[in-house]
Amino acid sequence: MGPLSRETWAHRLAAFRASPSAFMAGADGENLGRDLLSDLRNEKQSEQTKVSLLALSLEYPAELWPNAPAAEAAATSLLDTLVLLPPRPSALRKPLLLAATTLLVTGGVLGPTSEASCRLLPLLLGLASGRDVGQGFGPISEQRPLRATACECLRELESCKPGLLGCSLGLLRRLLGQEGPVQPLSLLLALSLRDTLVAQSRSRAGLQGLLVSEISTGSGPWDWTLAEEGGAHLLPQAPSWPATEEGECGLAVLELTPEEARELRAVVAQLLDTSYLLTPVAQAQLLWLLGWALRGLRGQPPALFKPQLVRLLGTGQLTLLHAVLALKAAFGEALFTAQDEALLLRRLALAAQHPSLPLPTHLFYLHCLLHFPENWPLGPEGEEAAPLLLGPQLCRSLMPSLLHEPMALLAHLHLLCLLCAEEEEMDQGQLQSPQQYLEELLAGMRQRAALDSSPQTLATVCFQASYLVASCLPGQTKVLTSLIHGLAQLYQARPMLAPHFVDFLDQVGPELGEPLKRALQQEVVSKPGRNEALCWHLQMLAKVAEGDAQSATLSFLQDAAAYCTDWSLQQALLRVCRALLQTSGGRGLASLLQVLARQLEDPDGRDHARLYYILLTHLAGPKLGVALGPSVAAPALASSLVAENQGFAATLMVQETPAPIRLGVGPRMAKGPLPVLQLHIEALEPIYSLELRFRVEGKIYAPLKAIHVPYLCPGRPAHPLFLPLQPRCPAPAKLEVQALFSTPAGLTCHAPLPPLSVNFEDLFLPFPQPPNGAEWSFFEGLWDSCLPKGAESRVWCPLEPQGLETLVSRHLEPFVVVAQPPSSYHIAIRLLPTSMLLLQLEAAQIDGVPVALRTDDWTVLPLAGDYLRRLVGTE
Amino acid sequence: MALRGVWLVRPEPGTALCGSVRFSRRYPTVEKRAKIFNGVSYVPVPEDGPFLKALLFELRLLDDDKDFVKRCDSCSRINKTSVYALAIGGEELWPVVAFLKNGMIYASVPLVEQTLSPRPPLVSLSGISQGLQLLFGIQDFLSLGQKSDSELNTKLSQLPDLLLQACPFGTLLDANLQNFLDNINVASVTQPQKLPAWKAGTYKGKPQVSISITEKVKSMQYDKQDVADTWQVVGAVTCKCDLEGIMPNVTISLSLPTNGSPLQDILVHPCVTSLDSAILTSNSIDVMDDSAFSGPYKFPFSPPLESFNLCYYTSQVPVPPILGFYQIKEEDIQLKIAVNLKLHESVKNNFEFCEAHIPFYNRGPITHLEYKVSFGQLEIFREKGLLIWIIGQKFPKSMEINLSGTVTFGAKGHDKQPFDQICIGGTAYVKLHFRILDYTLTGCYADQHSVQVFASGKPKISTHRKLISSDYYIWNSKAPAPITYGSLLL
Repeated sequence: MGPLSRETWAHRLAAFRASPSAFMAGADGENLGRDLLSDLRNEKQSEQTKVSLLALSLEYPAELWPNAPAAEAAATSLLDTLVLLPPRPSALRKPLLLAATTLLVTGGVLGPTSEASCRLLPLLLGLASGRDVGQGFGPISEQRPLRATACECLRELESCKPGLLGCSLGLLRRLLGQEGPVQPLSLLLALSLRDTLVAQSRSRAGLQGLLVSEISTGSGPWDWTLAEEGGAHLLPQAPSWPATEEGECGLAVLELTPEEARELRAVVAQLLDTSYLLTPVAQAQLLWLLGWALRGLRGQPPALFKPQLVRLLGTGQLTLLHAVLALKAAFGEALFTAQDEALLLRRLALAAQHPSLPLPTHLFYLHCLLHFPENWPLGPEGEEAAPLLLGPQLCRSLMPSLLHEPMALLAHLHLLCLLCAEEEEMDQGQLQSPQQYLEELLAGMRQRAALDSSPQTLATVCFQASYLVASCLPGQTKVLTSLIHGLAQLYQARPMLAPHFVDFLDQVGPELGEPLKRALQQEVVSKPGRNEALCWHLQMLAKVAEGDAQSATLSFLQDAAAYCTDWSLQQALLRVCRALLQTSGGRGLASLLQVLARQLEDPDGRDHARLYYILLTHLAGPKLGVALGPSVAAPALASSLVAENQGFAATLMVQETPAPIRLGVGPRMAKGPLPVLQLHIEALEPIYSLELRFRVEGKIYAPLKAIHVPYLCPGRPAHPLFLPLQPRCPAPAKLEVQALFSTPAGLTCHAPLPPLSVNFEDLFLPFPQPPNGAEWSFFEGLWDSCLPKGAESRVWCPLEPQGLETLVSRHLEPFVVVAQPPSSYHIAIRLLPTSMLLLQLEAAQIDGVPVALRTDDWTVLPLAGDYLRRLVGTE
Repeated sequence: MALRGVWLVRPEPGTALCGSVRFSRRYPTVEKRAKIFNGVSYVPVPEDGPFLKALLFELRLLDDDKDFVKRCDSCSRINKTSVYALAIGGEELWPVVAFLKNGMIYASVPLVEQTLSPRPPLVSLSGISQGLQLLFGIQDFLSLGQKSDSELNTKLSQLPDLLLQACPFGTLLDANLQNFLDNINVASVTQPQKLPAWKAGTYKGKPQVSISITEKVKSMQYDKQDVADTWQVVGAVTCKCDLEGIMPNVTISLSLPTNGSPLQDILVHPCVTSLDSAILTSNSIDVMDDSAFSGPYKFPFSPPLESFNLCYYTSQVPVPPILGFYQIKEEDIQLKIAVNLKLHESVKNNFEFCEAHIPFYNRGPITHLEYKVSFGQLEIFREKGLLIWIIGQKFPKSMEINLSGTVTFGAKGHDKQPFDQICIGGTAYVKLHFRILDYTLTGCYADQHSVQVFASGKPKISTHRKLISSDYYIWNSKAPAPITYGSLLL
């Protein structure tokens, strides 16, 4: 099959780049990687297209070959392509090397068992050392330009498998000293030196002559064991400062022999001495690497870096000055005396405002000033602060100005605020104090923001600056007072900034927010609300309206109501009413709401006004607050209208919840005119106004009255509750129980409780006590009256002779009419509404007690039988 | 110190996406390291589409930015550097280094070699400066000589190959992309051992050294009792050294005449090999005294092949070259204006051009103008609300010229008239534009004989000087004007 045309590939690649995931999910996605590899080897395909194919595999290897075997196969294919290139100059060799390296890393296949790795690594090292790697690979003139590329590939592999080149340190060092390209070799040597130092310090080994011998171990130039250890945790090439404080990369434990220390010093000196041959960005990388590699290492004085510093301090080059700061952070006083520190600060302050440098550089240097790694920092770590040596003189040169870009203005303003915070304690006798300048600057910003057609950004910056001042200078009443005054004036000039004000009030603390609210409220209500700014005024009032100055606010609203002709204005008006409801209320508000409920054109508005009126007049303060507060049911809803409705619903409707109550039946009480169930209640969380409702299945009892408990608290024993039952027939039943209560948050909740069982014996009532001596005849009379309409039965209770007495005394005591203990008991039980149950327990025999039953209601008989059997069972 | 990706985004307001990705390059090996280093706080670099949207949103370049948007405009969201967090799918991609320059957003995402929560301070991340430097390099490459869209497209199409050389694996090798373009005057070197990495080869041809000093003078003049006028000179020394040899050494000395103004705030090119401590410490921050170092300023260096800025400096000259005042009186719909300019006697009275621009912002178009100039001509741009006073090549003998007039404005249109955020009410300025060739305000010059070249062949040395105005404002003294802190330290 011939190669795809250039246009087809261009089209395909463009489609892929537009959205790789979409392309790979499509029909064409599956074949892309395969087609790409095959066209790379196709002689008819143009070199230009091949370069663009390789560019794609450099950027998206994981998308094209998503798993390790695919990546290994693709890397092998690329290496084959590389060797098969005709021996003439080709633009493909470099990207092929880069792509194969990338694939091994991203596919996670780099290792001693990967065939592609074992082919690529010797090739790279051969090219890097300037050896002829073979005719098939191209003429020697073609191989030379690839030396730098091979070094870069090795550096990338070392970055991803730290320690890989640990055994090649001696070789790299020799190459650097001889004919090698200086930059790639320097960086590669510095990186693998650093990785080796860290790895050896972890394993508490020395350098073991790694720096001098060409290939020190029998395993060849690759140290997979070191790399395996390193691969488990990658090494930051330029660790962030606070992290290193914890000794993450500390090499203090590394024990070097004096000889090794000398060799190491020689290597570092060699690298630093030729560092001016590197590009500025590469010099910076070298300094970061070496600085953090040697930090704290015995026998490696930081003075090695000193000769480079003067040269570096002279430039305004971003990466170089940044690297100097990194050295400063790494070595502190050991490399920078107090005077050096002052000089560095001066250069930094100078560069932070130098007219020849671009804005992003200025901003970065300003950031560096506020995070300057001081020799002896005073403040807490990680907090932005002006360094001690950055005195007022230096600061003054960094003052903000209205002519600055917004970001620069804020950055400089922050510094000014820090200066003001410090100068508070100092004398105020200067002609122009920083505070005064700050106030003038803020006034200028407000003036710009107040301008009619000024863009949004100016207002944003003005409020950001105000926020910065408020947060940096919280205690400075003079500054804050003028800020409040100025902001109130700004609002007067441009009410459409209301959203900014609302946001500002949300962000600042009460010491500024409260007085500002009052000032703004004053500002709004002092003028009649009839102009086009009414919607902003209402938005503002909804935020700032509070208890004080109610009457002025209300009369403003009354006045404004007539002008709220459209829906959104009416809603805004109602939102203010709502805010007032929440904070206070009062008679004036009630009459305003009444007026609105009649007057507003929109029915929804009228409904809301009426609802608010009802809430105001019917709910007490705290409940009202909860009703209007943030919705519990739907805290994350974006729409305020929906949220509000949900809030009402949550508060005014009854919520179904799991019950925070345990309810149980207590011991039976057989007295009084009705059977009474004794209930024990226990609360798991505080609840108020509990109402327990009971319902009997099948209407066999009369409807039960609810029980009310005002307050229950967990851990505090509650009084028992008594539930009188009015059976319509003498039968056991299940009671459905519902609890209705208020939570401390003010919500009304409803919870179904597990049903309660009313047993047959719970319905037992005693007969009135007959006169003394008449017991027997009384019982006889009852016994005889049962028949013929009633029923009779005999039950055998298997009890011990002594068991009878116990049984009676435990369960039937209140109902005994005639007793001849321990052998004979006559028992009469009244059952509502009109039945009775009579028992004659006769003299116990060896294996049980015969019981004679009579009742005037035959339906009772099976229940009684069951009851007796249960009774005996429990004994 | 590596980068996870680079993007060039062109904002296109009014289009569906409000912009397009003109170039992007990802570095998957670095991405793999990011995933390991960042751990649970890792946020992958998104595809171009989502990246574009998030970037434009963060920089407030989407079209829907008319109203207050809490996510961007909240007063507590203060960004003081060019580093952003982009909201992508509920997570935040950070740090994204980005800036807008000449209608193009330059963006890169540096690798952070640790967890991202809490976010480490930017100063401790080497990738921030490396990322910015690459973007500056790309920006320099794109802006060099680029005028038209097709030229831009050509340059953009060269970028993939240039980045393959300058930043093959996401670790920047050279920010000067120009170095990787083929250069006809450059011979490749067979023995590269001592060839600096910032040189693609060696020069072949006639040896010559060209030095040009360009000074820009800025000024803010208020004509007020309680506010001091300010002015500052910013100088740049540009060199092009066509010299043979691997590392030719050159020393250039800048000298000042006896009454010259000392150079301060000197920033040198990284190729400068050593620096006198007096040069390093002279700055505009400290209080000056008579003992200030006044040269000669020696810069020994080994030059790169291309033209480069040997050093930048600032200087505080004793007087501004042109001192003026500007007064506006507002009468109904008319403005009465008066401008007076005086050239200082010490300044060379031979301009390439000299003009005073008098704009009227936040007003309607000019409908009527009556004026009198003592010298030169006045051009009127009615719709733009702008007067240009063309002064010409020389000031008259008196060295002083003035303009007076009455300007009448029409009704303010909606969008047509120029808006300015500073010129509010009576706040207004005259801005001077001038250029004087073969002259520097500080007096600074590079003497041909003081240039030492250690290379084969005697080079031809040429020197050039010029003074240009830049941000030279004279503010209406009858109204408030924006002041800098320096103006208040009388």
